[in-house]
Amino acid sequence: MLLPQHNYLQPASLNECLMALQDAGEFGQIVAGGTDVIFNMRLKLFRPKTVVSIRRLTELMQVEELPDGSLRIGAACRLTDLAENPIINDRFPAFSESIRSVASTHIRNMATLGGNICLQTRCWFTNNSQQWRQGKESCFKTDGDICHVIKSSEKKCHAINNSDTPVALIALNAELTIQKSGAKRVLPIADFFNDDGIEFMKLCPDELVTHVTIPPCNDRLIFSKYAARKGIDFSIGSIAARCNGEGEQTDKVSLILGSLSTAPIKLTKAAEIIQTKGLTDGAIEQAADTVRGDLGEVTNLYSRAVYKKQIARVLVKRTLTHLKNM
Amino acid sequence: MPDSRKGGEIRQVSRGVTTPDVDTAMPDPEIQQRQKAMELSAIGKRQPRLDGPEKVSGRSLFTDDVQLPGMLYGKILRSRHAHAKILKIDASKALALPGVKAFITGDDSEKVFANQYEPAISKGVTHYIGEEIAAIAAIDEVTAEQAIELIDVEYEPLPAVTDLRKALRPSAPRINPYHDGNVASHNIDNYGDPDQAFEEADLIFEDKLATHPTHNLYSEFHVVLVDWSFPDKLTMYTPTQSGYLFQKKLSEAFGLTDSQIRIVHLNTGGAFTGRGLLRPHHYIAALLSRKTRRPVKIFSAGDEEFLTCRAGGDNDYVVRTAITNDGVIKGFEIEGIMDCGAHAAGLSYLSAMAGNYQARLFKIKGLRFNRKCVITNQRPNFFHHGGMMTGLNAAIMQQLNRAAQQIGQDPIDMFLANAAEQGFTDIVGGTFASCGLKECLEKVRDRSGWKNKYGKLPPYHGIGVAIGSMASGVKGAFKHDTSAAMVKVAEDGIVTLYTGIPDMGQGTHTTMAIITAEVLGCDAEDIRLVAGDTETTPLDVGAFTQRGTFTTGNAVRIAATDARDQIAKVAAERLGVTPDQLVFRDRKIMVNSDRNRNMGFGEAAYACLHSREGRFVMGNGFYNSPLKYGTLAWSFGAQVAEVTVDPETGEVQLTRITVAHDLGRAINPLAVEGQIDGQIFSGMSQTLYEECETDNGQFLNPSRLEYKMPRTYEMPQVEYIIVESVDPYGPFGAKEVGEGPIVVTVGAIAAAVSNAVGAFMPEIPMSPWRVLRVIHQNGDGSGSD
Ligand SMILES: Cc1cc2nc3c(=O)[nH]c(=O)nc-3n(C[C@H](O)[C@H](O)[C@H](O)COP(=O)(O)OP(=O)(O)OC[C@H]3O[C@@H](n4cnc5c(N)ncnc54)[C@H](O)[C@@H]3O)c2cc1C
Repeated sequence: MLLPQHNYLQPASLNECLMALQDAGEFGQIVAGGTDVIFNMRLKLFRPKTVVSIRRLTELMQVEELPDGSLRIGAACRLTDLAENPIINDRFPAFSESIRSVASTHIRNMATLGGNICLQTRCWFTNNSQQWRQGKESCFKTDGDICHVIKSSEKKCHAINNSDTPVALIALNAELTIQKSGAKRVLPIADFFNDDGIEFMKLCPDELVTHVTIPPCNDRLIFSKYAARKGIDFSIGSIAARCNGEGEQTDKVSLILGSLSTAPIKLTKAAEIIQTKGLTDGAIEQAADTVRGDLGEVTNLYSRAVYKKQIARVLVKRTLTHLKNM
Repeated sequence: MPDSRKGGEIRQVSRGVTTPDVDTAMPDPEIQQRQKAMELSAIGKRQPRLDGPEKVSGRSLFTDDVQLPGMLYGKILRSRHAHAKILKIDASKALALPGVKAFITGDDSEKVFANQYEPAISKGVTHYIGEEIAAIAAIDEVTAEQAIELIDVEYEPLPAVTDLRKALRPSAPRINPYHDGNVASHNIDNYGDPDQAFEEADLIFEDKLATHPTHNLYSEFHVVLVDWSFPDKLTMYTPTQSGYLFQKKLSEAFGLTDSQIRIVHLNTGGAFTGRGLLRPHHYIAALLSRKTRRPVKIFSAGDEEFLTCRAGGDNDYVVRTAITNDGVIKGFEIEGIMDCGAHAAGLSYLSAMAGNYQARLFKIKGLRFNRKCVITNQRPNFFHHGGMMTGLNAAIMQQLNRAAQQIGQDPIDMFLANAAEQGFTDIVGGTFASCGLKECLEKVRDRSGWKNKYGKLPPYHGIGVAIGSMASGVKGAFKHDTSAAMVKVAEDGIVTLYTGIPDMGQGTHTTMAIITAEVLGCDAEDIRLVAGDTETTPLDVGAFTQRGTFTTGNAVRIAATDARDQIAKVAAERLGVTPDQLVFRDRKIMVNSDRNRNMGFGEAAYACLHSREGRFVMGNGFYNSPLKYGTLAWSFGAQVAEVTVDPETGEVQLTRITVAHDLGRAINPLAVEGQIDGQIFSGMSQTLYEECETDNGQFLNPSRLEYKMPRTYEMPQVEYIIVESVDPYGPFGAKEVGEGPIVVTVGAIAAAVSNAVGAFMPEIPMSPWRVLRVIHQNGDGSGSD
């Protein structure tokens, strides 16, 4: 499995990079750590004409504390560096946990935060070699007309958003800075993802995520991930749970589930139950019971749907219990 | 051409009592006593692998490191249909690509079969997803890959059947011309008197267990490089468990003599029963090289590896145990339906071995194994590490642990009362000249703290015991089961050992060096090794059926002794004694009664050459089991596994495992522990994790990321107990530790999980979702039902 032919650009400045992206248009592909995109290219899932590396953009490799107490992180920061960053460890331990839970040490040594946020959605059909895919009809993502995972009349790709840090970042109300040549916009990360395996993020081909900004947070917050093995696997399910107050008392709760759908899922019913009843054992059970309903359609991708629903329930129950005792 | 054999007919055989050429009854106890009392120096030391530094620093050569001048890259076009007619293969676009040098299809390989029923390249029809249907050779990998994409194939899909039960239905499509009713073989093996055994039982336990497809997951993927530029010499570089077997098969297929074939296996990056047989890609590389007169390399990339491997398949077992109220195990009855995949190769033989295995652990009256090998439109299957014994042992050990509980006995007590022992002749006909099974059981009981744990654990904590035994070499593949060795002693006293046994990670080369060193009174580090090439080493049948230490070890011992005798003759003259008065120790040759009278080992070798005779010291040796077929020595083992089960996620954690293994003699305790670690790892992996998920014959997780094999983080705490029964036939008393432990591990973990959830676990692997299903269906975690 070799890489398809392509031009490789390594711009030395952000401006140069944005121009290169504009030139390449829809035939361009950003590569950061490359731990995901290079592999997808080997699978011939993409055959970009121009690959634009952001590995030389030192301006996107800084972590700064802003005057308002927010933390601004460059999108090209390596996960290993962020996992070791004392400010992040001290102020946002749950975010730090989500970083450490990505893949393995070797991969985190290459991988970037931007790459993790923009991670391509995953599916056993598309994430196999081109020869392998010839065994079945092409799917929506591979220019075909069906989805192998859920066969319905709905024309939707059900690939999963399998990345870990966005789950914590959504709970933290983080914002993304997105730039293109001559323009810049800021978007809450909670609004960045679409419920679609193909158009899974609100990002145009000529745009680049440059920074992630996390506002101060004094609430209790936990990130937790369930995977088949320790320290390598993508999540079967992940969760970020946040609440204010102490002990059982709380009136602001947010629960985000990851890796169970095409986009991270916000659990509103469960959050409401805890908000009104507090973190009592009864309320936690009750909240956990609502999860199945809030999940919507769960696919068999990489794990059985029934099992994933059960894992989601367990994640909610265990993290809420953990929050209570925090 | 393979002969067309009728399926459907059942071959019912009463088995048992091999016909040995020698008397395998107990050897003279005095000999055994002497073996035990032997003064040893190199053997028993914790010797790090001799090739360790070379391997970890990346300097060891593997097949893919080899580049030959003018080498081409081969690539195989694989079928993407589980069953289809191939109407047309159009390679005109591929051939027009600059750099493409050859294109072959089934037309070019009609007489070449990878296995009895498996064509090297399928012609006219394809039987499974991944089957070889054409191949090309090109000047580089990029061109080869592009060319494959440019080949157009016209298929006409045929009805496919990928489920072994459906394949047996009368309405099922016929998959290949050789097997009526898709039955590759159907045998009923009767050992002892199974009917009488069940007659005498008070209780009969019956359970079903299913296993699923696996991959051997060796670290070096399948790769081959063939140089057949000259018609009378075929050189093949490839990882293998046996250069000899490859030579034989290739000479047969291509009408060459054995000596015209050279197999270079360098280092072999793992095997786990996955590298004993030639696969289509080996033949395809040869065909491409013959056609182009240039060396051709083929490397299995990505998911291709999962299609070229021949590991475990879907197997369904029904297991019945006959037992009395007071815990006497009378016998077993097993029914097995096993998926051969699209082409039958060796599975029937493997299943026979698995029946054999279960017959020799206890003093039972009878065992019946009704085994049917089925053809389906799946990848052809062989087996994973531990063979078919792992699945069966998982079923039987679970059942026995539960049976003991039901009749109110401690399973270890029950096992002890029924276990085989030294001098016992099992119902298959093997007599155990050495057997430390009971000692193993007693030791794991004490070390694991069994008495304080069994029946006393909190909910969802489980403990289980299992036992096993493994043949140290099985004669039967050929008339002989020979390993030969040569030992050269240069005039500077440097010793070189020539051996054909492949080291695929098990560390056998270090073992052989230790045996040589022991005989010659040197240090293992002093021994150089020439290995991995059939042209420069003497014959060795290879590294399977756990014959390495036993058979090759005996050959090496004999070769080294031959060299020693040659030196001893000269040394004895110089020291004024007879050769039998000499001891070889610490690189010296000493008079036993007065060790101050001695000469250096190098000095003696020099003296041999610079004598009147001018002798250059070269010791030769070979070993071939004196039996007509079968086994002379068996290892035995017992293990206690401890697990915790998360009742909400179904996740099983193996927390601790206590292993006792009777391997005769530990040539190198460090390597023994390494072997045990590896097998606990793989046993845990097979029991709890590994599975190729399939969808109509297509593997859904053909990658190392999605085929879940645990990592070192999941390793439990391991307690090692080495039991040395000193076998009279093994070199210095050694038997095997290459596959014995893994089968026991699988049984012990299965028994422990079943103990934790209070139910029989009906499937392997016990993936969390399956465990959860069992918990929801019947378990309450109290450890009893
Ligand atoms: C074995 C293995 C295990 C893994 N396990 C996990 C896991 O547990 N959890 C997990 O979350 N991920 C996992 N991954 C996926 C991946 O390694 C990580 O998500 C990683 O953080 C991706 O970062 P990268 O810099 O390597 O991204 P790249 O591969 O370089 O890029 C990924 C995608 O993001 C786009 N992109 C990158 N940077 C930007 C940017 N600044 N702006 C806009 N688009 C951008 C790229 O165009 C590409 O589409 C795993 C990967 C492997 C191979």
